[in-house]
Amino acid sequence: MADAITVPQVQPVQPALRFLRVIPGIFLLAAVGYAGKLLEQNVGAYAKAHHWTFPNIEYVLWAIVLGLVISNTVGVPAIFRTGVATYEFWLKAGIVLLGARFLLGDILKLGGVSLILVAIEIVGSLTFMTFLGRLFKLKPKLTTLLAVGSAVCGVSAIIATKGAIEADDEDSSFSIAAILALGALALFTFPVIGHFLHLSDKAYGLWAGLGVDNTAEATAAGALYSDAAGKLAVLVKSTRNAMIGFVVLAYAIYWAGKGQAQQVGNKAAFLWQKFPKFVLGFLIISVLATYHFFSKDQVGALANLSRWAFLLTFAGVGLRTNFSEMRKQGLRPFAVGAIGELAIAGFTLGLVYGASKIFGW
Amino acid sequence: MNTEVVAGKTASKWKLSLDTWAVLVAFLLALLVRTGVLKHVPW
Repeated sequence: MADAITVPQVQPVQPALRFLRVIPGIFLLAAVGYAGKLLEQNVGAYAKAHHWTFPNIEYVLWAIVLGLVISNTVGVPAIFRTGVATYEFWLKAGIVLLGARFLLGDILKLGGVSLILVAIEIVGSLTFMTFLGRLFKLKPKLTTLLAVGSAVCGVSAIIATKGAIEADDEDSSFSIAAILALGALALFTFPVIGHFLHLSDKAYGLWAGLGVDNTAEATAAGALYSDAAGKLAVLVKSTRNAMIGFVVLAYAIYWAGKGQAQQVGNKAAFLWQKFPKFVLGFLIISVLATYHFFSKDQVGALANLSRWAFLLTFAGVGLRTNFSEMRKQGLRPFAVGAIGELAIAGFTLGLVYGASKIFGW
Repeated sequence: MNTEVVAGKTASKWKLSLDTWAVLVAFLLALLVRTGVLKHVPW
């Protein structure tokens, strides 16, 4: 017989109050992002006027660095935290609006290639991370979370899988911390390696979309290289995100088979629930742009709105990254993640290199 | 022994996810641009 536990009814927060709570943090995102934009414009001009040799640093990097400095020195005061957490929302809205800059034909052409590469990347990453987790004797569910986080789409995939396989809060915190720390590292190392190897925008965009786990970091790593690379990184990363439902479903069935998670009832409903809706939104806007629903000027306006949304996202990436918090999560999952990420970065670079030889990029 | 969790009445069937809200806001912005309410967006 089943014991029934009634969860006490929590008083819902008024929608107006919830809205008011996010405002200070959104202002902070806008201030940090806009400061990054001003620094990009003014530091370069100042250095040029004084005949200094200074690299042209894009607003993306300035916004992230400013956010990192605030987060890791004075910290983000509590009043701003709820609003800072909306950076994921701006990221997704920005990706949907970015759809206006893609013609459907490009998506089908690039999406077809990236779908094959994404499938290879996901299978390779899941297999390797599972092997590493066993080698380092990590808990099996922690290994699953780390594998899904690095193979599919970072934090969102970990959160979706945690619920489906009934993993511990501690395991998901470990995995999220490892994925975020490694994402921050990738943000700074990927562009350097890309320039060192003289990768084309196309090859680099594909690599960033395949190799960087979290969508925000993949978008930023792409944008740090070039506008074209940033666009492609978003497309490839969205293709990876679209796979989340299938991977989580497979793991949910696996753990349910072991009696350590609930059975999945309606599989189609499960897939729809896990499917990232912003990928669908991106495709709809792209179809509309392809069939000239928007004029050229309107496409330009939508692209700029997307840039503003990404500006808030990049500020949020810096503001939510706190290295001392990450250190508290322990070294072993981080070591597994680091070794895995290094191998995945090398593996995906090889994939992109092979594809660029085949397709002549 | 199974443990069944009965949720309170606060969980709304129609609660939208963050993803869906982001898509709706993006569509609204696209509509404002299409109808000319937002004519020029500077960068």
